[in-house]
Amino acid sequence: MAAPQKEVARNEAELIDRIRQGESELFYELIHPYERSVFMAALSIVRNEADAEEVAQEAMLKAFANLKQFRAEAKFSTWLVQITINEARMRRRKDRKALYESIDEGKKDEEGDYIPVDFADWREIPSETLEREELKRALAKALASLNEIYREVFILRDVQQLSIAETAQALGITEASVKTRLLRARLQMRDALAPGIDGNWTTGGEYKRVRPF
Amino acid sequence: MSEIEIPIPCRHVFHHLSNYLENDVDRETRARMEAHFKECSHCTAVLDGTRNVLRLVGDGRSFEIPKRFSRRLYEKLKKEGKAK
Repeated sequence: MAAPQKEVARNEAELIDRIRQGESELFYELIHPYERSVFMAALSIVRNEADAEEVAQEAMLKAFANLKQFRAEAKFSTWLVQITINEARMRRRKDRKALYESIDEGKKDEEGDYIPVDFADWREIPSETLEREELKRALAKALASLNEIYREVFILRDVQQLSIAETAQALGITEASVKTRLLRARLQMRDALAPGIDGNWTTGGEYKRVRPF
Repeated sequence: MSEIEIPIPCRHVFHHLSNYLENDVDRETRARMEAHFKECSHCTAVLDGTRNVLRLVGDGRSFEIPKRFSRRLYEKLKKEGKAK
């Protein structure tokens, strides 16, 4: 269903050229495929939907204003997400609440290995279960429980399916950092979701947490 | 001829787990991890659970964006002459 990458790139390059030449009203067509991507990237940092929406809109306008700086060899979607991340971070700095949260976040260095706390074996969750509000809520809650640096990489790589390289570029960090943070993010997400998922989603059975060793 | 696998502890498995899921571990580490999974139900549970989570969050339906977000974005861009 999706057009092959080369074709998308060619069409985008054309659109970008025309917009640069003055056909501004084509901009919406250019960014439309990336709306969700931009919103999720914003949400990973600002954490509430109202702010994320504002950040997304601002990021789009910034992208338009800076379109002349976009280099054709780069990937447009990654560039757009990068702008969004920067906009979201600026927004957070302005937000006074962020002052308190950054104290709680503790060290930003990725130190020590994350050890899972739960070893129950999950049965496969059918995708239809996604339709259920409880699972969506549990996912959103689990995501919100992560520290920002882990949430960011998880949303870009695992939710939005950017590559490791694209994730690194969008966040302005090394690929090694992306990988280290992903490890923690993924294991933490699994632990955060475990209580609801073992059996309960499909069979309504009792959940028993299996303690390590 | 089968190789003698050097067993690795669970914490090494956890350390490599994310890269393993990315197919980004060297052959030796991969072999050791797979031998470990055969013997260790806890680590297998962690592996399966993590895969499960990744499959779910990678599904487009797992996170909803606000209704009308798209509409409001369009309206905003239209107002600025950036949409038809």
